[in-house]
Amino acid sequence: MSFDAILDDYEKRREHALAMGGPERVARIKARGSLHARERIDYLFDEGTFIESGLFATSFIPESQASTPTDGKVCGYGRIDGREAAVVSHDLSVKGASSSLTNVKKMRHMRETAIKNGMPLVLLNESSGARIPDTMGAVGTGALGQDPEQFIRRREVPYAAAVLGPAYGTACWFTQLSDFVAMRKGGVLAVSSPKVTEIAIKEKVDPEELGGWRMQSEITGKVDYATDTDEEALDLIKRFLSYLPSHHNERPPEAAAPAGSDDAGRKILDIVPAERQKVYDMRKVVAALSDRDSVFEMKPRFARAATTALARIDGRTVGYVCSNPLFKAGALDPDACDKVTGFLVLCDSFNIPLIFLTDTPGFLIGLAGEVKKAPGRIMNFMSAMQLCTVPKISIVMRKSYGQAYLNMAGTRNADEMLAWPSADIGFMDPNVAVNVVYGVTYEQDPELFAKRLKDVSEASSAYDLASIYSSQFVIDPRETRRTIARLLEVHSRDRAGGISRHQLGNWPTTF
Amino acid sequence: MAEERVRSEMTGKVWKIVSSVGDKVSDGDEIMILESMKMEIPVMVDTDGTIKEFLVGEGDEVTEDQEIAILDV
Repeated sequence: MSFDAILDDYEKRREHALAMGGPERVARIKARGSLHARERIDYLFDEGTFIESGLFATSFIPESQASTPTDGKVCGYGRIDGREAAVVSHDLSVKGASSSLTNVKKMRHMRETAIKNGMPLVLLNESSGARIPDTMGAVGTGALGQDPEQFIRRREVPYAAAVLGPAYGTACWFTQLSDFVAMRKGGVLAVSSPKVTEIAIKEKVDPEELGGWRMQSEITGKVDYATDTDEEALDLIKRFLSYLPSHHNERPPEAAAPAGSDDAGRKILDIVPAERQKVYDMRKVVAALSDRDSVFEMKPRFARAATTALARIDGRTVGYVCSNPLFKAGALDPDACDKVTGFLVLCDSFNIPLIFLTDTPGFLIGLAGEVKKAPGRIMNFMSAMQLCTVPKISIVMRKSYGQAYLNMAGTRNADEMLAWPSADIGFMDPNVAVNVVYGVTYEQDPELFAKRLKDVSEASSAYDLASIYSSQFVIDPRETRRTIARLLEVHSRDRAGGISRHQLGNWPTTF
Repeated sequence: MAEERVRSEMTGKVWKIVSSVGDKVSDGDEIMILESMKMEIPVMVDTDGTIKEFLVGEGDEVTEDQEIAILDV
């Protein structure tokens, strides 16, 4: 055969693979208003940087080879804002992007290459699950499991996922393992499809109910953001990755702080009321302390009594862990503990200093919490926080009581402990403590209550904390941003090149 | 027109109802204030709609997840 003929054959094969599942199936995907697998890659990567791996991969079953271009998962490498990343883009037009022996090998190679070279792994997920008949019987199922590292996370590199349609089986598993998840509304994230669920356990269930965006972003907290379009989900992945290093052995990238970033921090007292019974939105405080427009909240619809956010201060990435008085008075419930624990794992794994902003009446007590294993969740949070070796700066703004004081990196749990002059620290809210300790309520005896309130409120100020050097600084709230920025310069971790000890690298966050 | 039930985020007492039946509300609007953990906790709606009915009154005790108002959405 001449080279012309060889190249002609090559071109035909290439065109066949690039055509995915054929025009009709691709048109069906487009008709629902989404991008197809290759358009998503084009949108994700800097123009002209994508190099495809496994274009000529197909099913291992000879009679399926013609109908399985790329075997339903488009893989390769490209650059996001100039930085390398690996991608797995599920192609629903090829056998529902179902998982098979060949495409699982492709996924493995993407994961291994990403980890070996220190670049993020981006997973664009939608899949009907395991492919039939490939995985049928002992031969089919037994052929799986060739990779004993497949589902291990050591967080050497970030995983960022988008759920852009139905995501069952492997697409669902890898979403669970990811550090960030954006989900297009209409997508479904579940162990198995409604159809299989109905056949197997006779439970008729609506896809949205089984694993829709509302449930996943508000109740399970698995999804960080729900979006209307594929493009928005991909933009969120890009934004998330912009705060992170490409791998765990480098510092996060820096970005110039926009002019005027110090202005809002000086007006912080316009946000926080002095009266402790009044609530406010901690997210406004986070915005005021951070570089202008740099805040990227994580899981904003889930467990809102805790606010977790990536942001920048003087151009450097930081992670905020906060109680938010606007929701549940900032009392941290079991879901809030899980949310914070997962965020601590992220920040410690990728060398992101932590800022704790505390204004909380404590952990939420009561039956509902106990049923959800509140004590265990509180200890997971505490243990994870103590294992973090990134710089930790803790600030008590108004209230900080009991175990929550310690969980929010109180005293030596932080590298530096700061208190506003308005801080009140103790074993519980003094108004409650009067009743608990002395058995007196305001209604029974206002005069005695006032006297006892004074007793239990004594020695609970920021200055009392500072007097025993359990806080190193009492600061004017308007100086908070500048003080944090300065302390981040001091706590540079320069001896280790700014790299944490990564003691949380394989902590499971699939709560 | 569909109905949306507003639920109490936490156990506490209804301190003040700051809206009225028939009021048009938007996502994030405050419709009542609970008192719990010695703090004033706003109850905010998370959808646009019109207040159809309050299921609790000022001074009532509410538990977490209890339905406290109905919106027409």
